[in-house]
Amino acid sequence: MLTSVKPAMRYFLPLLCLNAICLWADGHGPAFGFSTAILGAGDSSVGTAMMWRGGVAMIAPEVAYSWNGNVQYSLSAPFHQNHGGHPVGRFTALTHGDPAVEFLTAWRFHHSLTGVGTRNESTLYVGASATTQSLPRADGPPLREAPGLYVAAATGHVSRRFYAWEGAGYEHYASQQDHQSDTALASLVLGWRPPFLENDYPKPDWRFFWETTGERIGKASRGVTSVDTGGHDHGATTPLPPADASGVVTLPDSGGNAVYSGPTFLVTYKDIALQSGVLLPVWRDMNGIQPPQRFRAVISFTYYFLGGKK
Amino acid sequence: MTVSWKKALRAAVLTLVLYSAAPAQAEYLHIQLKVYGLDCEICARGVSASVGRMEGVENIGVSLKTGMLEISLKRGNMFKMSDLRKRIKENGFRAMEAKVTAIGSYSGSKFYVLGAGESYNIGNPATKDSTPTEVTFDVK
Repeated sequence: MLTSVKPAMRYFLPLLCLNAICLWADGHGPAFGFSTAILGAGDSSVGTAMMWRGGVAMIAPEVAYSWNGNVQYSLSAPFHQNHGGHPVGRFTALTHGDPAVEFLTAWRFHHSLTGVGTRNESTLYVGASATTQSLPRADGPPLREAPGLYVAAATGHVSRRFYAWEGAGYEHYASQQDHQSDTALASLVLGWRPPFLENDYPKPDWRFFWETTGERIGKASRGVTSVDTGGHDHGATTPLPPADASGVVTLPDSGGNAVYSGPTFLVTYKDIALQSGVLLPVWRDMNGIQPPQRFRAVISFTYYFLGGKK
Repeated sequence: MTVSWKKALRAAVLTLVLYSAAPAQAEYLHIQLKVYGLDCEICARGVSASVGRMEGVENIGVSLKTGMLEISLKRGNMFKMSDLRKRIKENGFRAMEAKVTAIGSYSGSKFYVLGAGESYNIGNPATKDSTPTEVTFDVK
């Protein structure tokens, strides 16, 4: 028993320590899907999230700052905790799926305050990213770093008891040779604060969500000039097709369509938020042979710096 | 050089005269403000921290259930309702009606909170006296 616990502790303790140092940011809405939440003018948050999917663990430190209450900037830098065939596509609506530095600007362009505790609002997201590590693949050398552009929009209804957000986004990678797969994703989030947890301020605030995400991910491509640093053996792979005229090979074991769904929760108290949840595959239609993603999980911590404007 | 000194002196005297003409304690004392859109603890905390940092605020309470902000102000403050409404908006919410207790003076049917430079048409004044008086009134 002890021998099986020790390796696990060796793995988790550094993660927990890292989380304690750089707490998570922006945990103001759902864990995986799109939301519209923006911090107040001058407010900021810092933190990190731990994410798991398809045998790959990542940590995503993030900072966020709200300029005027309707425009918010965030910078996140997810990175690998272990190596394996890296699943393509975004991890969450607002967190990159690759090891990358991503700068996101959120603009809440529609804001209708209709009653006590009630809002209808819509937010546009525009982001730019640069992957910071090559992406290991089972079918050959890793995909090299590539810059990406991200555009998304979310709209939703917020009240003391119910939440509903829907959103969609598209991520495009710009690369002449290696093409990480472009990704289209959409989400629907339904939230609920049970009546017995409708505490008044200042008390811990619990919210429960059911999140459903859908994604359509294109096939990745590899330039034949990629440096061969060796692939990671994850079993059989589909034989690669010949390179096209520009020397690019389309990777058959990449991309696909999938829908995930599952429960998440968010609790906030004082300046801290804790958020966690698991999504399970409802439907998957993946291209070729890929590491299975039996679940997607996230745990995140947020520390807020509120009342930032003097 | 002599002329500029005289000008400066004249301006200083004029400022002092104007300042002393205003009632010494014309200010907001207490504000109950309804706010739309506050749905969560972090929202309430953000508004509380943000408004709490405004000049003159002594105490602030927030209720998520009623959407009410209850603000007590220090004596001699220069607090303005317009600044409060702006601050609420910057936090992503909407300031609605308020019940205000303030010291000020009447001029006709208007009540002037002179320290803040803001006035309200609050109907028939209880007194025609222009001396500073404490009044509680509703602001739509």
